[in-house]
Amino acid sequence: MHHTNHWYGHAHVLAEYCGLDDTANPPRIDGVLQHGWNVGSGLGPRTRRAPGKTVYVWSEQVRRRAWSMGLRETIVVGSPFLYLLATQARDGVHPDDGPPREGTLWYPFHGWEKQSVEGDHERLIEEILATEPGPVTFCLYWHEYGNPVIRAAYERAGRVICNGYRGNLREQTEQKFLHNQLAELRRHRRVASNRLSSAVMYGTAAGCTPAVYGDPMYLAEEDVATAQRIRRRWPELHGADVDLAAARRTALDELGDGYLASPAELRTLLGWDDVAAIAPTARTEMTPAEMAPARVAVAA
Amino acid sequence: MIRLIGGEMPDFTEVRPAAGGALYRYVTGLVPAGSRVLVAGPHDGALIGALAGTTTVTCLIRSELAAAELSRHGATVLCGTLAKLTDAATYDVVIALDGTGRLCSVEGPQLEWAEAVRALTRVLRPGGTLLLAVENQLGVHHLVETGTPTGAEQDDEWGPLGEFDSTPGHPDRLALALTAEGLSVSGLAGAWPSLEQPSLVIAREVLQDGPVPALAAITARTVATAYEKKPVLSDPRRLASAAVRRGLGTELAPAWLVVAERLPREGGGLRLPSVLISPGHDTGHEAVLEIAEEPGGGWGRRVLRAADGVDPAVWNGPLPTGRLLEELLLDACLRHDLPRLRRLLSGWATALPGVTADNVLVEGDRYARLDPTAPDRPDALARFVAVLLGGGYAHPWPTVTDPARITGILASAAGIGSARLPAPDLIPAAHARREQEELVRTLQRQLAGAEERNRWYEREIRRREVELGKARVQIETFSGSLSYRLSRLAIRAVRKIRKTLSKIRKGQS
Repeated sequence: MHHTNHWYGHAHVLAEYCGLDDTANPPRIDGVLQHGWNVGSGLGPRTRRAPGKTVYVWSEQVRRRAWSMGLRETIVVGSPFLYLLATQARDGVHPDDGPPREGTLWYPFHGWEKQSVEGDHERLIEEILATEPGPVTFCLYWHEYGNPVIRAAYERAGRVICNGYRGNLREQTEQKFLHNQLAELRRHRRVASNRLSSAVMYGTAAGCTPAVYGDPMYLAEEDVATAQRIRRRWPELHGADVDLAAARRTALDELGDGYLASPAELRTLLGWDDVAAIAPTARTEMTPAEMAPARVAVAA
Repeated sequence: MIRLIGGEMPDFTEVRPAAGGALYRYVTGLVPAGSRVLVAGPHDGALIGALAGTTTVTCLIRSELAAAELSRHGATVLCGTLAKLTDAATYDVVIALDGTGRLCSVEGPQLEWAEAVRALTRVLRPGGTLLLAVENQLGVHHLVETGTPTGAEQDDEWGPLGEFDSTPGHPDRLALALTAEGLSVSGLAGAWPSLEQPSLVIAREVLQDGPVPALAAITARTVATAYEKKPVLSDPRRLASAAVRRGLGTELAPAWLVVAERLPREGGGLRLPSVLISPGHDTGHEAVLEIAEEPGGGWGRRVLRAADGVDPAVWNGPLPTGRLLEELLLDACLRHDLPRLRRLLSGWATALPGVTADNVLVEGDRYARLDPTAPDRPDALARFVAVLLGGGYAHPWPTVTDPARITGILASAAGIGSARLPAPDLIPAAHARREQEELVRTLQRQLAGAEERNRWYEREIRRREVELGKARVQIETFSGSLSYRLSRLAIRAVRKIRKTLSKIRKGQS
């Protein structure tokens, strides 16, 4: 199993969707799963993988892009977040079962272990509070959440949360990362960030109105041209007040809506056909509804 | 009775079979009773026998042995070369369903196509009918042929011309050429899979305005049967079907069947049905079907000539509409349109799970069996996988090389369990040269990829072996052994010294 398949509990979400009982220990995936919304080939620039192994990408557009970049070994499966939505829909979880939606869930652009974000958080917070119509919850990435200075700045402006640690080398993975994120998204009317990101896509798919505005900030040594290209390529998702229908369509397309495989098909695609030997209690019989390819029902 | 007209070939036997088959027999059966008929060139005995039952038949044949055989069956035979045919006798109908390629013997002039037609027209009475087959040198059969039509090998190939001959190469030019010979064309149809033994004839106007997708599917099935065991350059099914679908059906048909009257026309001549099919072409039965526009709209299928073992009720009725499932599946694979692919697969699995994809027409959500007599196949899905992989088509699972696993993916996409599905061949056979080359390229690519992956794994194993070695040393060092305890003591001592040194430094500063 490529260790990035465990990030954010992605493999765990897919195991749950496929009906495996032991979702805490998902079987090895026969390749590398795209781990975040991506304007490249679906793989992170530093991802190591065995030559020729499958890259499971989220959307047909990413597949085309990957092909043009010389990456041939792709299979489109859709994003784990949509599989989580499909699993919850299958299990009877209604999107509006929770508390009433209120305010904005704001995701400041984050850095990671090897690149920190450069920018003025205080000024960004001012702009956010001036723009957002209701209370703001700030969701910090673990990297910034662990930085007391940055965290305190946001805590002065509103509620601050963290979805957990995405994990690394299969260690300390928050297996319910996406579950936590979905639950928080469903508590808010809006989802916003200073950069178009997975979180904005997820929020839109989870029924929030998206917004992307404010100082985009930049990673240390980041390719600024790419960041600017993103703004030109997806204008419908940028701004404080977007065309919701267009934004939803785009976000769902980027996440692979309509391309999700049925549980049985996904098991075969991921190389989990012999999963009974790995997880003897795995469910092997699916109902017809479970067999059908999933499609996400977006909350209005 | 044999009359030697000159240029006859005493010891020659035709190499290729004579023109014939159920469909030609049906067409010649349309000749009005009592007609005087000249059958020019080799035609099968059954056809001539049937024709002789209702008309007065004279045969023109170059082989003396063949002439003797015909004569023994009571036919009047003119034996010799076409150039020697005179207009001493004229006929109501001239039938040349073998074309004009075998009318001249080795003796005397070798008539070009137009000259041959002129010679045949000369013996036709004014208002008489010429029933002529013309080989298309750019037909699908030549495009997929592995041999060259201009290579000479057999006894009858003393002057192979292939595309260098003067036969018109386009239906329009054919009609013009016939007009120039004083003929009026009343019917022109494409014929598949060959001039000598067609099992499908479709009128030109129907190929333009008729049920084109269904006709493309029927054409594909016709050539599939004909080329099942023959080596070809590329899959003739795709070529024939694409030609029909894209409006080039007549232009790329292996042969054209023409009905023309010698001017001045009398009207009321022989009329060919829009579409004729001989479904028993490969099994040998004589049934003939027609596809025709129905009075209430749409197109229907009807048995024109029944045969033993053929139940008309199975065939009679509306013609299924839509495109061939196999082509739609390939189309969805090439476009990487997984949602559509899944819809098609699940629709197929629900409606007609045992029917092979090359026998299912899809129109919207309707799945219909094209040939109602083709048997069900439990390995229908695996057969499609063989077409997909054997045909070298790009598909959405480029890293999956095992046909059984592709079958499993398709089965689960269709919503059916794959556990008991018959497994396809490990490497599906491709009988077309182009597909074979594609398969070789694919295998080379896969092999190169596998070798590169192996090298990567080897490097990875070496790296991890080094890490494992270090870990083992550490484990041994720090385990509960004497060496572990000594190490712990040493570490504590080192730490104590460090702390002391640190305090001393702080005190100094």
